[in-house]
Amino acid sequence: MRLRYIARKCGWALLTLLFVLSANFFLFRIMPGDPIGLLARSTRLSPEALAQQIHLYGLDQPLPAQYLTYLKQTLSGNLGVSIISGTEVAETLASRMWPTVLLVGLGTLIAAVVGVVAGIKGGWTRGSGFDRGSLYSSLLLYATPEGWLGMLLLIVFAGTLGWFPAGGYASNSGAGAASFGDVARHLFLPVLTLSLGYVGSFVIVMRSSMIDVKEEQYITTARAKGLSDGTIRSQHAVPNAFLPSFTLIVLSVGFILGGAIVVETVFSWPGLGLLTYQAIQDQDYPVLQAVFLISSGAVVVANLIADIAYGYLDPRVEEV
Amino acid sequence: MVSLVKGDGMSSQFARSFVSRKPVRMMSAAIALTMAASVGAFGMVSATADSASPSPAAAPKVLRIGTTTSIDNPTIWAVNSASEWGSIVIQYDMALKFGPDLTASPGLATSCDPSEDNRTWTCHLRDGLKWSDGQPITSKDVVFSYNFVRDKQFDYFNSYFPEGTTFTAPDDKTFVWHLTKPSIGPMRPAWCYIVPEHIWGKYSNSTQNQIKAVKLFPNVASGPFVMTQANAGQNWTFSRNPNFWGTKPTYDQVVFQLYTNQEAMVQALKNGEIDIADGFDGPLLPALTAIPNVAVQKVESDFWVSLAFNFGGQGPNAHPLPALKDLNVRKAIQMAIDKQGIVDKVYPGAATPGDTIVRPLSTFWHLNVPAEKVIEYDPAAANALLDQSGYAKGADGIRIDPKTNEPLHITLPTSDDVNGSSDVGQLVRGYLKQIGITVDVKPTTAAKMYDLQQSGEFDAYIWYWSGDPDPNYVLSVFTSSACDGDGHLSDGCWKDPAYDALFEKQQAEFDQAKRQQDVYEAQQYIYDQIPDVALVYPNYIEAYRTDKVAGLVATPAKVGYLTTSYDYASMVAAHPAEQPVTTDSSSSGGIPVWVWPLAVAAIGVGVFLSMRRSGKGSEEFERD
Amino acid sequence: MATDLPLGDQSLEVGPLSPRQLTWRRRRDSFGRTWSVFRSNRQAMTGLVILVLFGLVALFSPLLVSEDAVDPSMASGPPNSPPIAGYPLGTDGFGRSVLALLIVGSRVSLIVGLTATLGAVFIGATVGLISGFYGGTRIDRVLGTLTDWFLVIPWLVLAIVLAAILGPTLLNVILVIAVTSWAMTSRIVRAQTLSVRTLPYVERARALGASDASIITRHVLPNVFPVIFAQAVLTVAIAILSETTLAILGLGDPTSISWGIIIEQAFNAGAMANGYWWWMIPPGLCIIAVTLAFTMCGYALEEIFNPRLRRRG
Repeated sequence: MRLRYIARKCGWALLTLLFVLSANFFLFRIMPGDPIGLLARSTRLSPEALAQQIHLYGLDQPLPAQYLTYLKQTLSGNLGVSIISGTEVAETLASRMWPTVLLVGLGTLIAAVVGVVAGIKGGWTRGSGFDRGSLYSSLLLYATPEGWLGMLLLIVFAGTLGWFPAGGYASNSGAGAASFGDVARHLFLPVLTLSLGYVGSFVIVMRSSMIDVKEEQYITTARAKGLSDGTIRSQHAVPNAFLPSFTLIVLSVGFILGGAIVVETVFSWPGLGLLTYQAIQDQDYPVLQAVFLISSGAVVVANLIADIAYGYLDPRVEEV
Repeated sequence: MVSLVKGDGMSSQFARSFVSRKPVRMMSAAIALTMAASVGAFGMVSATADSASPSPAAAPKVLRIGTTTSIDNPTIWAVNSASEWGSIVIQYDMALKFGPDLTASPGLATSCDPSEDNRTWTCHLRDGLKWSDGQPITSKDVVFSYNFVRDKQFDYFNSYFPEGTTFTAPDDKTFVWHLTKPSIGPMRPAWCYIVPEHIWGKYSNSTQNQIKAVKLFPNVASGPFVMTQANAGQNWTFSRNPNFWGTKPTYDQVVFQLYTNQEAMVQALKNGEIDIADGFDGPLLPALTAIPNVAVQKVESDFWVSLAFNFGGQGPNAHPLPALKDLNVRKAIQMAIDKQGIVDKVYPGAATPGDTIVRPLSTFWHLNVPAEKVIEYDPAAANALLDQSGYAKGADGIRIDPKTNEPLHITLPTSDDVNGSSDVGQLVRGYLKQIGITVDVKPTTAAKMYDLQQSGEFDAYIWYWSGDPDPNYVLSVFTSSACDGDGHLSDGCWKDPAYDALFEKQQAEFDQAKRQQDVYEAQQYIYDQIPDVALVYPNYIEAYRTDKVAGLVATPAKVGYLTTSYDYASMVAAHPAEQPVTTDSSSSGGIPVWVWPLAVAAIGVGVFLSMRRSGKGSEEFERD
Repeated sequence: MATDLPLGDQSLEVGPLSPRQLTWRRRRDSFGRTWSVFRSNRQAMTGLVILVLFGLVALFSPLLVSEDAVDPSMASGPPNSPPIAGYPLGTDGFGRSVLALLIVGSRVSLIVGLTATLGAVFIGATVGLISGFYGGTRIDRVLGTLTDWFLVIPWLVLAIVLAAILGPTLLNVILVIAVTSWAMTSRIVRAQTLSVRTLPYVERARALGASDASIITRHVLPNVFPVIFAQAVLTVAIAILSETTLAILGLGDPTSISWGIIIEQAFNAGAMANGYWWWMIPPGLCIIAVTLAFTMCGYALEEIFNPRLRRRG
C-alpha cells in the first residue's frame, strides 16, 4: 500500500529529526571558547552577574539535565535567548526567515525552470549547437565559485554600472513595508547569483536524464509508430526523465541553503544566511544552534516531500 | 554543490512508460509564468533604475547613515554593537556629557560642585527639561537612572559609580552624589544615560533579561532624535524629538542603514543611497577618495592594537617563554618591529604607529612620547642588544636562551576581532625572524582568546585595548591587582609595584592639570618597561557626500567622530548641503569597462542566445 | 563491469599463468582499454592536460617562487599595482606579485582538494563497502542512518560549526571538507557493492569459506574501485569549491595562501571598489579551470566505468 510507504518515510523523517536535535545539542556543547566569559571581558561583569548569566543559560547544570531541558524547550518552540542581544532566538529567526525564503525560493525556482527546460532541449537534441552551448555554459557555471561570482556581479552591476543597489533588502525607511519595486531592485542580483550557481547542475542532470530516456525501447517504439518528434518528447520522454531530476532538485535544497549563506553575506541580504554568518562572528551559540536546527529540518522535510512525490509519481514504488 | 553523479535508486530506466499530460501542462504553465515574471521584473527594474532618490521638495528631510554593525536589540539595556551605541547616543543625554576634548561638559546638568573633601558633589539641572512624551525631566529621573543601573547590574554604566555611593534629590532640579571616598565622581564624566523614571520605574522588580525584552516604540528619551521604527537587519529610523532642550535639528529624520560589506557601503555612498558612511577600513580609502563630492574623516583612534607579553602565574598551564621576562628581550623585539611598516602594509593611509597605552582619541590624556625617549625601529641595534644580553644565535640562526638552552620561540595567537590582526601577526613573524626569534602565528576567535588570557597559555598575543575617555580603566589593567582571580583583566600578569604606586597617584589627584602630569608619568613608565607594545592606532574612517550634507561637527573636536559616538552634536548641527550637485552614478574610477563585457559574455551569452533559437531537433540519432 | 570483459585471444598464445598473474594481466589490459576510451574524449583530455599543468606548477612551486616573495614583511613591490614589468599579474596590497601568490596558492588549493577528497572517499568507500556488503542487515541500517544524517545536514552550516569548533587551520579545513563530503560517495559505493556481491565468483569465494574481510578486499573492492575512483575525481572538484567558499566566508587559514584566501583578501582589501581586477579575477579563473578539469575527467571515467551513464557530448 502506498500509505505504508508514506508512513514509513514519515517515521524515518521523524527519527532523523530527533537525531538532528540531539547532534545539534552535543555539537554546540563541545565548542571551545566561552561566550559568557567573553561578555565578561567586554562588559566588565562582576562575578555575581557572571554567575547569574551562567545560571540563566543553564550552563551550570549537569549535561544530561541540560539535554533534557533543551529537548523540552525546543519542542515547545522555545529556542533560547541570544547571548549577545538578549532577544528571543525564535523571534529573531522569524523576522529573518522571509528574506531567505524569498531568495532561496525564487532562486531555486528560476534555476530549476531554466535548468530543466534547457536540459530537456539539450538532451533531446544532443550534439546540436544549442546542446553544446548550454552544456559548456552549465559546466562553466558549475565550476565557478558562487561567492566570487556574487562579488563580480556586485561590482559590475552595482558598482561600475550603478544599475542596482549595493546590498540590503530595501532602501526606504519608516513608512510601512518596502515597496515591491524597491525590494525587486535589491533582490535581482542575489537571486541572479544564486540561480546561476545552481542552474548548471540542473541542466546537466536533466540533460543526462533525457539522454538516457531517449535510448529507451519505448521511445523507439513511439518513433516507429510515426509520432512527431515534439509529441514523443513532451509526452513520452519528459515525464520519464523528469522524475529523477525533480527528486534531485528537491534534494539540492540543502545545498542551496548553504549557497544562500554566501550570497546573503556578499549582498548584505538580511536573511538566515547572514544571521548565521554574524552569529559565527559573535559566537552567539543559541542563534547558531537554532539556525542549524532549522536548516537541517528544512532539508529533512524536503527529503520527505521528494520521497512522497516519488511515491506518487513512480509506479514501481509499491515494491520498494 | 549538487553532486552530478546519480546515486542508487535514481535510475531513469522504467520498466514501462506511462503517459500523462498533467506534468507536461503544469510545466508549460510554470515556464510561461516564470518567463512573464522575469520579463516583468526586468522591466520594472530598468524603469526604476534611473530614479535614484525621491524628489526632496515635499518629503521629510532625512539623513541617511550607512553602517556595518547591526542593532539587534534597540533597547538601551542591551547595547553592545557600534550601531547600538550610536543609536543610544543620538537618543539619550548624560548629566554631564563629553566635551570637545572628551572631558566633562554641561549636558542635562549645567554644573557639579564638590564639597571640601570631594566626597559630596551637588549637581544642577537645566530649566524647562522635558521628555519626548511631554513629561518633565527632574532630578528624580537622574537618581532613578543611577540606582537602576546599579540594582540591575548593567555594567556598562554602573562601573562609574564607586562602591557605596548613594544619591539624593533634595529638589526637582538638584541631585547629589554621596561618596564614601574622595573621588572626581560625576566629573569623569559618569558615562550613564538618564532614562525616564515614569517608563522604567515599573520594571524595578524585573530581571535583567525581562528588561532587555521590553519594546518601546516610539522610544521615550530626552535627546534630539528618538527611535520610531526598526526593520530588523535592515534599517532603523529616528524622528526628531519636539521636546529636545537644545538647538532644533534641521533634519526631521535620521536613518541607520545596514550593510554587511564595507564594499557595499562604498557603492551605496557612490550611488547616493546614503549621505554618510560610518566605519571603513583603510584599504577602501582609494575607492572613497575616487568618488566625486566625498569628504573623508579619519577619526583619531579610540583603540590600539597591542602586542602583549606573558609573564606567567595565571595558573598551572601557564608556561610562557622565560626570556620574555628579560626587559632587553622585550626591548629588542620592539626595536625589531617596524610599526610604520605595519601601518603601510596593513592599514595604508589609515593608521599611525602606536606609542603609549592611552588611546590618542582621549586628546587630553594621551601622551605623545617625546622624541628622545622613543624606541626607534632598528633591527641592527636589536640584534646587537640580544647579542650583548647573551642570547647567541644557534646554527640555524635562531637565538638560544642561555638559562634554559631552548631556542627563542613565540607562540602568537592573534584575535579575529581586531581587523588585520593575522596580517599584523605575519608581519611580526617576518620582523622577528630577522633577529633570530621564531614566531608561530595562530589566528584565534575572540572567545578562545579570552580562554587563553585567563589560563595564560600563550607567549605573546595580538589583541586590542580600548578603554574609556578617562584613562583610569586602561591604566588599571596594568596594575598588579588586575591579575587576580577569574575574569582578570591583565593580559600577561605583569606586576610592578612602582607602577602600582603611579596608578594610585593619578587616581587620587583631583586637580585636572596635575592629574594629567601623573597620567603622563604612568604612560611613560609603561612605555619604558614594555609589558605591552602599542603597535598601531588604526583610524576609524567616516565618509560623507559634501553635495548632500553639510555642517557636521566632530567629537572630540576636529579629529573625532562625525557620527554619534560620544555626542549627538553633529546630528543637531547637520543640514542638507546648499547646492546639491547632481553627480552621475557611473564612477570614473574603477575597473576599465572593457574587462567586464568579456567576463560577463563568457558566462551569460551562450545560454541567452541559445534560448532564442528554436532548434528543430531532427539530429537525435546523430553520433559523434 | 570492466573487469569482466573477455581477455581476447592473446591469452591463449601465452603459457599458463598463475591466478595472480592473470589478475594483473587482466587489470593492465582493462587499464589500457580505459585509457584509449578516455583518450578519445576531447574534453577529458583537455582536462587532463590542465591538471598536469597545474600539478606541475604546484609541485615545483618552491623552485618557482621563493619563500620571501610571499612573505608580507619582505614584499617590496609597489602595492596594488596593475601588471607592470616584473609583475606580470600585478601586486596585492602588501606589494607581493599576484602571479607568485597564484603559484604558491596552487599548492595549497590542490593539496587541500586532494587530501580532503582522500579523506572523504576513504570514509565514504569504507562505509559504503561495509554497508553494501551487509545490505539489509542491522549494520547496513545503522550506517545508512549515519549516511543519511550527513546527507541531510546542509554542508556549509555543518562546516561553519566545525570550523568554529576546531579553529581556522589548514588541517581543520581539510577535516571539515572530508567530514561533510563523504556521504555521497558512501551512497554510490553502497549501490555498487550491492550489485557486485551477487556476482558468481563472490558467492563462490564465500562458499569456499573465505572471511568477509578478505572477500571485501580481494573480490568486491577491485570491482568497485573504478567507480570509487571516478567519484573521487569528481569529489576533488567539489572539495576545491568548498575550500573556496570557506575561505571567502573567512573560515580558512589566514596564514596560508590558497586561491580562495587570495579572493577573500582581495575583497576585504576593497580590490573591486578600487579596481584591482588583476588581484581578484585570476584566482577565480584558476579555480574554474581546475574544477572544470577535474569534472571533465571525472565524467569521462564515470562513463567508462558505468556504461549506463554514457554522457558524451
